[in-house]
Parts: sequence; structure tokens; C-alpha cells
Amino acid sequence: MVCSHRAMLRVFFVTLVACAGWSATPPGASGQSVSRKQTATPATREAGLVAWQQVYSVLTHPRCINCHTATNYPQQGDDRHRHLFNVVRGAGDKGVPGLNCATCHQSANAESTGVPGAHNWHLAPLSMKWQDLNDKILSSADVCRSLTNRSKNHNLDGPGLLKHHQVEPLVHWAFQPGRSRDGAARSLPPLTHDEFVAATRTWVEGGMPCPQNP
Amino acid sequence: METYKLTVNGQPKEVTVDPGTPLLWVLREDLKMTGTKYGCGIAACGACTVHVAGVATRSCVVPVSLIGDRPIVTIEGIGQDPVGRAVQDAWVSEDVVQCGYCQSGQIMSVVALLKRTPKPTDTNIEQSMGGNICRCGTYVRIREAIKAASQQLK
Repeated sequence: MVCSHRAMLRVFFVTLVACAGWSATPPGASGQSVSRKQTATPATREAGLVAWQQVYSVLTHPRCINCHTATNYPQQGDDRHRHLFNVVRGAGDKGVPGLNCATCHQSANAESTGVPGAHNWHLAPLSMKWQDLNDKILSSADVCRSLTNRSKNHNLDGPGLLKHHQVEPLVHWAFQPGRSRDGAARSLPPLTHDEFVAATRTWVEGGMPCPQNP
Repeated sequence: METYKLTVNGQPKEVTVDPGTPLLWVLREDLKMTGTKYGCGIAACGACTVHVAGVATRSCVVPVSLIGDRPIVTIEGIGQDPVGRAVQDAWVSEDVVQCGYCQSGQIMSVVALLKRTPKPTDTNIEQSMGGNICRCGTYVRIREAIKAASQQLK
């Protein structure tokens, strides 16, 4: 089910990129006679917008957005329910003394007990919230604006954001989330990590364009 | 089966167990340290709380393979710590315990709280202790004992 969903998204992605490339071609120009450089500039921004939607599809998957809340607590599961056990955010986004994230979440997935883990498990800061206070996911435009606002994103520029998506252990965890305690594999984001990084790179190289709010 | 070298309450220990064995069962079954209790097995009740490198940790969900070289402190050893001693004294003076099953986990969480927040507010107490469940409902006495221990640590 997950695989077929991801395959469909890949087809959708390729189709959109193809459409963006086609729509950026100047009227009357021959695809064979126009140099790559001439078509690269207008196509790149369009490709960036298409790529952003792919990035957004990952960022808003439960494996990612469950820890990008606007509230005092993280979420769990594909239904994004409030984290059990009265877990709260705490001043440093790592829980509170006696009930830290590390009280359960270790440096790797605990496959025998079903507790997910990765290095430095923590909530994203409130400046990187991608939900509202009612746990509704923000629009693509709003998340994009938040992600590109250097006053909110730890002062990361495009290459910095790309590197974050490439190397951050918690980002990697989202693509290798292990199994829950009933033995079921946790659902995966709609792209592989390689595809996610590639989409981020296309978006960054396209000037990190953000869609307009509807 | 793998062999693991652990430091528990300052003492070196060696166990040969399946890597996925939760720390709780290593403590109770292999090291015969039964002060740490099994409550729910899913980190929901806090009865199994120990300290791993000073962090209150639910030993029922942490496989021994993920402990590494971090030192472990259990209820059997917490009294050697000044904060732990103060908390245990307060537990006695406030007569906190009813059935007592959850209390080793309660005490371990309180010590973790007071080490970072020596003068906790009611909100601090509620948030830090919110994951430790007491079926006897001794919460009022737990709160008073935390405040008494905090005073003791002045």
C-alpha cells in the first residue's frame, strides 16, 4: 500500500516536472535547437516550485510533523494523537526533568520494545511549528515561508537547509522509523530520503520559491 | 546472546543476554536487583524508572544493547546520593507510601527533578511527575514530600 502510494507520487512528480519543463519552453522554440542554458533559468524556478510540493509532502507526513507542533506536546502515530504519558515540551524542547524525551527515546530505534529513537531526540522549536494550535497542518505557502525565514530556522540559508535534510539524524530517522510495539512497521514519508534530498536540492537551486496562499 | 559490561550503582557488572532484553529484566532477573518494578511494560506508568547517565529512564522499554557505557543508578543505590537521601528521608517523614509498588519509580523521578530544579513549583512537579502513576492515589503526599525534600536541600 505504501509502496504503491509512493510509486504514484513519483509518477506525479515526474509528470509535474515534465509539465513544468514543457510550459517553460518559449513558444515556437524547438526543443532540439534551444540550448540547455537558455531554458534553465525559467524552468528552474518552476521546477523549484514543483520540488517544493514534494518537500512539503514529506514535511507534513506524521513521521516529521508529529514533532513540529505548535502546542506544549508532541504527537504520535499516523493519526497524530497527543503523545501519551503526559509528555510535555519543556523549556528546551526535550521534555522536563524526570520526563525527558530521553526517558524513553534512545540513540536508535528499540526494535524489541517498539520505542523509536535517534541521536538527540527532541521537538522542533516553536519557531518551526508547521501546525496551528488546533493541530491543523499549515498550508504549503505558510510552511515554505516559515522554513525560509532565517529568523525562525536557526539562520539556515539554502545550502544550510539542504545539508540539514541530508545529515540531520532525526531527518534520517523519519525514513527508517522502525516498528511500533505491535511489530507493525511505521509508515514512511512519500519519498525516499534520496528523493527528498534531490527535491530539496532542486528547490534550493530554484531560489527556494514559495507558493502563494490560495 | 551478547555480553554487556554495565556500571550499576558504581559497581561493574557483566551480563550475557539477548541484545533486545529490556534493562528492567537485566536488573531484576540477571542482577537480582528487584527494587525496580515492572508495572506496565510500555513506559506508561513509571514504576521501572532508573537513572541512566543521570537521566530518569524507563527501563522497561530500553534494550540493554542501547545502554553503552552510561552509568546506571537504581533505587538500591540512590540513597548514596545527597538528593536521593533527602528524598527518601522525606518519603519516610511524610509517610508517602501506601502499597508502595510505584514508589521506587516515583523516587527516581523526583530525584531527577530536584537535581535540575531544586525549588520546583507545583507546575514543575505536575509536569515532571505526570508520567508516574500511583494506583493508591498518594499524589498529595508525594507533592508534600517533594517540597519537604526541597526544603531539606536548602
